[in-house]
Amino acid sequence: MSREARLLAVRRRIAALEAGAAAGVAPFGDARVDACLPGGGLPLGRWHEAAGEGMELETAAAAAAFIAALAAPLAERGAVVWVMRRQDLYAPGLAALGFPAERLIQVCARDEAQALGALEDALGAEGIAAAIGEVESPSLLAGRRLQLACERHGATGFVIRRRLFGGRASEAGSAAATRWIIAAAPSAPEAGEPGLGAPRWRVALERCRGGRPGAWIMEKSDDASSLRVVAELGDRQLDPAPSERLAG
Amino acid sequence: MRRLAAVDAGAAGLGLFAGQKATDAAALAPRLVIAEAEPAADAAALTALADWCARFSPAVATDPPDGLILDITGVAHLWGGEGTMVDDLVTRLAGSGLAARAAIADSPGAAWALAHFSPDRSLAAPGGSAAALAPLPVAALRLTGADAAQLTRLGLTNIAALAALPRRQVGPRFGAQVVRRLDQALGTAGEALTFRRPPSPWFARAAFVEPISTPEDLARASGDIVQVLAARLEVAGRGGRRFDLAFHGLDGAARRLTIGLALPGRDSGAIARLFAPLIETVDPGFGIEVVTLAARDVEALAPRQAEFPAGGKRADSEDIAPLIDRLANRLGAAAVWRAGAFPSHAPERAVKRRPPLAPAKAEEAGWRLERPRPLRLFRRPEPIEVMALVPDDPPVFFRWRGLAHRVRRAEGPERLAREWWRRPFDDADPDKARDYYRVEDEAGARFWLFRDGLYDPQTPPKWWLHGLFG
Repeated sequence: MSREARLLAVRRRIAALEAGAAAGVAPFGDARVDACLPGGGLPLGRWHEAAGEGMELETAAAAAAFIAALAAPLAERGAVVWVMRRQDLYAPGLAALGFPAERLIQVCARDEAQALGALEDALGAEGIAAAIGEVESPSLLAGRRLQLACERHGATGFVIRRRLFGGRASEAGSAAATRWIIAAAPSAPEAGEPGLGAPRWRVALERCRGGRPGAWIMEKSDDASSLRVVAELGDRQLDPAPSERLAG
Repeated sequence: MRRLAAVDAGAAGLGLFAGQKATDAAALAPRLVIAEAEPAADAAALTALADWCARFSPAVATDPPDGLILDITGVAHLWGGEGTMVDDLVTRLAGSGLAARAAIADSPGAAWALAHFSPDRSLAAPGGSAAALAPLPVAALRLTGADAAQLTRLGLTNIAALAALPRRQVGPRFGAQVVRRLDQALGTAGEALTFRRPPSPWFARAAFVEPISTPEDLARASGDIVQVLAARLEVAGRGGRRFDLAFHGLDGAARRLTIGLALPGRDSGAIARLFAPLIETVDPGFGIEVVTLAARDVEALAPRQAEFPAGGKRADSEDIAPLIDRLANRLGAAAVWRAGAFPSHAPERAVKRRPPLAPAKAEEAGWRLERPRPLRLFRRPEPIEVMALVPDDPPVFFRWRGLAHRVRRAEGPERLAREWWRRPFDDADPDKARDYYRVEDEAGARFWLFRDGLYDPQTPPKWWLHGLFG
């Protein structure tokens, strides 16, 4: 085999690995988002990272809601595991987002290492479609291990970055396939309707392997657990959340 | 008055006996060494000895103050017979400095009588208890001192004489207790023993000629014994939910390891893998001479036909059971759960933790989704400072964790009353209701707030933040 042919074969293998072609993709169903993602959708069999900003870094409510909406269709394919360190995930609230909360397997870990270990174990296990973990910041090595675990049975991983005791986020790089920054966005109930509308998020695709970044406002549509793109915000970093911390 | 609680062989040879006045004993034997009796320590030692005896049988009951009853049904063949088993037991106890008398009989009562009143290591053949008991004094029936004394006074010195009496006379004359003890000794009446552990026929044991101590040897021994028990479970079509592995050391202590399974299982490889990380924590001391394994919560387990893997098929619980087992054994059984619906209005009680693979119960109707419920619910609601225009209205402004939030939209109230039926009647206060509001601030973040109690112009209302919507 000539050198060129061998190079070509290696390139093809790399491209196949990069695209995660084996496990397929989960399209958002909106060209504005899917065009930013390699293969036209959220790559499955990889792991993805979501984080909030400001107080959300500690409570991780919007990021958890967004990830629950993303992972809900995967629950049809197999079991879903949610690894957490603080036990404040409320199943009825998950169910309200269209997630089959009564089938979700919840795991509570005592520390970061245990949480990452449990997440890796779950991702590499048979019969698991997705595993979601609330961890502070997976190191490059831990991220690589998560990726290897994902590849064993094609499970999709989600890491919600959450600092349990507040403070600044550590900006460690990671091996995630995509990295999302999630913030709440004001809802827009129909004119004349009292109360709150369907939940909305400002969703920024900050980094994406083989794709390009983007930012949108998404809304949870009523019918299924799917997300609907309301507006495109353009390829820019979101404004930092208001950090008006007053004495008290 | 101080009395002797127990005497050793030497003291007994001098004519001393338990119950004797200490001063009398000191007079008889001037150089007598007297130690204070410690009943609590004796009881603890007896319990420890019962645990030690688990190497002989999984069913060991204590017989205070100084006896142990072992159910050796189906175990004696491991020693090559009852005689060698008893010899082994007594020799080992003697090696530890414990003087012991042992006997084997059909019933606990008969064994007790032989152990206390027959030559040491008496073995009553199956069905031969009555003959073995016949010459023994009536005190061997575990009677109270008064009962035994009365029988002896009437000339009924041995059990044969008592058993020969018409039964309808014995009860009225000497009391039901005497009849019951006689029947228990002869095996015609049952006797409830409180075993330290429930007897399990699913028990395997391996003894080593040379004590083992390296982690590799321990792992190999546990793998072998798991295989033995798993094969027996396989033949019987059963699986266990819990496996107790015990390493009995030369020092007499047992190192116990327990693993649990989410579904009953008998896969020796999987069980051995669950034990593997635990074995590393075992301190073998001077060496391990016996390993025992018991399966608990054994249930019928039908053999399963292996299926062709079908694409896109939903995982059933058997697929993920190994993962649940690994997580539960590493993090603790309480750390892995599934949320089940519980019919309660109180948000804290609407979720009940269930075992991850337990089938959904019929009363789990699911949660009512028409009411807003947050994604994150705080275990303790957090106090917030609130500004409300009208006392009964949702706030227009609140401060939580030092950050100010201006409310843009609000929904509610949803009034949740306290569950008065769970309190004493006098404590049931209809004012203890919470008015929940779902509010959205200018940035779009959603909060679940409540006001404690009904509106009262005298006291300013208290507001709390109970959860966050994503």
